[in-house]
Amino acid sequence: MSGGSARSLGKGSAPPGPVPEGLIRVYSMRFCPFAKRTLLVLKAKGIGHEVININLKNKPEWFFKKNPFGLVPVLENSQGQVIYESAITCEYLDEAYPGKKLLPDDPYEKACQKMVFELFSKVPPLLLSFLRRQNKEDCSGVKEELHKEFSKLEEVLTNKKTTFFGGSSLSMIDYLIWPWFEWLITLELNEYVDHTPNLKLWMEAMMKDPAVSSLFIDPKAFRGFLDLYLQNNLEACDYGL
Amino acid sequence: MTDDATRTLGKGSAPPGPVPEGLIRLYSMRFCPYAHRTRLVLQAKGIRYTPVQKEFCKTSSCKGHLDLEGRATLLECGRLDGASSKPRHEVININLRNKPEWYFTKHPFGHIPVLENSKGQLIYESVIACEYLDDAYPGRKLYPYDCYERARQKMLLELFYKVPHLTKECLVTLRCGRGCADLKLALRQEFCNLEEILGYQNTIFFGGDCISMIDYLFWPWFERLDVYGIADCVNHTPALRLWIAAMKQDPTVCALLIDKNIFLGFLNLYFQNNPDAFDYGLSC
Repeated sequence: MSGGSARSLGKGSAPPGPVPEGLIRVYSMRFCPFAKRTLLVLKAKGIGHEVININLKNKPEWFFKKNPFGLVPVLENSQGQVIYESAITCEYLDEAYPGKKLLPDDPYEKACQKMVFELFSKVPPLLLSFLRRQNKEDCSGVKEELHKEFSKLEEVLTNKKTTFFGGSSLSMIDYLIWPWFEWLITLELNEYVDHTPNLKLWMEAMMKDPAVSSLFIDPKAFRGFLDLYLQNNLEACDYGL
Repeated sequence: MTDDATRTLGKGSAPPGPVPEGLIRLYSMRFCPYAHRTRLVLQAKGIRYTPVQKEFCKTSSCKGHLDLEGRATLLECGRLDGASSKPRHEVININLRNKPEWYFTKHPFGHIPVLENSKGQLIYESVIACEYLDDAYPGRKLYPYDCYERARQKMLLELFYKVPHLTKECLVTLRCGRGCADLKLALRQEFCNLEEILGYQNTIFFGGDCISMIDYLFWPWFERLDVYGIADCVNHTPALRLWIAAMKQDPTVCALLIDKNIFLGFLNLYFQNNPDAFDYGLSC
């Protein structure tokens, strides 16, 4: 598993060669929560992979041939097939590779995970807008909206009476929503889950997962990255290297 | 007349009973494009429509079946008249401007479509409902077996995401008597992206040479281009026009094609804020 902490490729860089047989490549960025989803699934399923980090503030021209939207994560296999959109990459990995299935076989349980995913969908843009505003404008409106969204997730756990969003063991939906809760921890915003006790317990349970803990971001590096990223600094993506 | 031709339920209506065994229920509205997706999948999978007021038990001793409006209630004898083992579906149309209070127990915001099965399990978001049906019911699979091809169809869906909003905005703008040149330009651009895909693939349908899930997920908005008054948006996209023609040949699409005059009648009433809009064209 190479490249997770490699310098990113930017404009003017040479396009990488084909993916070696037996590996799958993920185009990523060390601090991207969407790419984190894919890395978690790769880790959880024990899939042999290589990582190429992309400078998202200075994207290589060749990268748009991989994903016309120019976003990470992107998967590329040794047949040259390319898959993008984080949730789609995760589902593809679960289907294409053997071992523990992260998505349930039962059609209704699978649909439930997708409905929870939709329920969660407002959190990423809210959290990002909260981070952009901090110390600048009044962000109490955003705080309130975040509380509302977390309460929805709390309700799911309360109704299900299970530790995880998919049941008594960790599954796909938990990995899909985890990266933003990791942000709360690294930025010491744990108080945001004070009023949602089940969500708090879920976070503690997640921290014990081997894939989660092995990919946990260093808080200092993350804060350093965030400062530079919000200033549109071209070096942000390689902070700490 | 399409097969879901029943009056809508609105505020003050009695909640329907549980869904009988062997049936799946769709909460819908006859003109909604999102619900249309789910109806297409039900049709394509051979999950046949059961009109709520028919095909129930004719046994004289059986008390529980239908009220006069044909609303399903618990079937006491547990049988459907002439029941086969084939799966069926029923449709309950919802008055979207006057939603029944009970409907919010089916969906927190009262959206359609929603599926409800005989275990009382609820599935919503049109794409999730369509995938659920494909997974849960046997027979013809609408999503490909190959996981890369499946991923491709889901990526194509992402490419489509601006189309519903843009077509709706065009409709609203035109109906308010304003020009929508900018919106049409934006829509044409989206159609160009889809045209490029068909050109690159060199296939008739978006999933290959045969119709599949992604085609059904796109279709409802293309069926509405004409009645929305924006059919000229595909003037510069020949492959897309060929796809539209091929789709109109598909038995599933044909079975659910909405009559243009009825649709126009609905739109006229809808934009006049008439609460009876959703039942336009129903004879009963």
